[in-house]
Amino acid sequence: MYAWIWRKLPGPFAAKLTIAVVLVLGVVALLMFVVFPWLEPRLWFNEVAVN
Amino acid sequence: MPQRRPGPPPRGQVPPQPPQRGPQGQPPRRPPGPAPRRYAGPPPPPGANEETVIFAPVGKGGTATKEKPAPAPLGKGGVAIRTAGEILITLGLVVLLFMVYELYVTDLFSAGKQSEASDQLDGEWAHDRTLHPELVDGKAFARIHIPTFGVDYNFTIQEGTDDAALEVGPGHYKGTSLPGEPGNFAVAGHRVGKGAPFNDLDNLSSCDQIVIETSTDFYIYKVLPYDDEVKDWAGGKGADPKCKGVSTLRDPNAEDGGAYSETFGRKVVLPSEGTAVNPVPYKGADALPKAQQAALLTLTTCHPQFSARERLIITSVLTQQVPKNQVKDYGDLLSKIGEA
Repeated sequence: MYAWIWRKLPGPFAAKLTIAVVLVLGVVALLMFVVFPWLEPRLWFNEVAVN
Repeated sequence: MPQRRPGPPPRGQVPPQPPQRGPQGQPPRRPPGPAPRRYAGPPPPPGANEETVIFAPVGKGGTATKEKPAPAPLGKGGVAIRTAGEILITLGLVVLLFMVYELYVTDLFSAGKQSEASDQLDGEWAHDRTLHPELVDGKAFARIHIPTFGVDYNFTIQEGTDDAALEVGPGHYKGTSLPGEPGNFAVAGHRVGKGAPFNDLDNLSSCDQIVIETSTDFYIYKVLPYDDEVKDWAGGKGADPKCKGVSTLRDPNAEDGGAYSETFGRKVVLPSEGTAVNPVPYKGADALPKAQQAALLTLTTCHPQFSARERLIITSVLTQQVPKNQVKDYGDLLSKIGEA
């Protein structure tokens, strides 16, 4: 999978590396700002109140 | 090196049938006797097999890398297995990243929200000093200070205990008393992540002070005696000047200790134990008429740390009320109550 992505990236090695880093950062940002905040209230380990 | 009888085959060609084998595929002839020797001579000296490196780089422009044998291409099964492995490793990294998010990133998000709420609260208090705060869901109306955790420990208390309110800071259980009132002013807070306001609640001991600041007053609560201190409170820790105003709340005339028989400074209960925030903790709503209720403050958080299996309950009792016009600020108050 990653080898395939690497082959699909255009340009010389430096360009490939730059694009790869940007892609990784993009995925991390997507997780941190969108996926995890959405996921978190659906999990159980953040309950601190009694009811 | 095994000795090949007719000399090494020319490079690049498929080696011919090994000459040791007989014409009918019979095992090679071998002299009877002990185990056959593979090596005719003494073992080769170290480095001897380096002469088999045929494509040693010769310098710039050497062809060594080109002629290195390429790894055999993976079949369909191999590709599938490799892809599955890559996906599993990726999922593991995502889970790790989620832990980083829970433990550290939510702290950053909450710190921003908390400082915003704090500024807003200060602004409101500077403008008008209404006696009774207006309770709007998710909006801050008071501030909690715990001197034991440092002079700068303070968080705004929001109305409600839903996720949005608790992301900003501790939240007030709706419908429970307000600061200073008889009954139970109950507040929930996160212990891990989201600013973790109640991270260290288990470090509190009896008689530690918890200060609730409203627009008009400072209310000083002190943690009630712990389970093992109740019995000998008056003669033991209760005699400490630090514990002035803290009683066990037990009724000496009642056999079981009266309405507050279940109330301790610290308790670990199941998440379903909603009675912990009742006006009289762990007792029904009608255990005592309002006028006879003690003014309590209850803090709840998850327990043990990193788990939501149980709840840690810290209960304290109001010992002093200091109007804000009598002290300059919280630091001044601390020096007056002997904590600074």
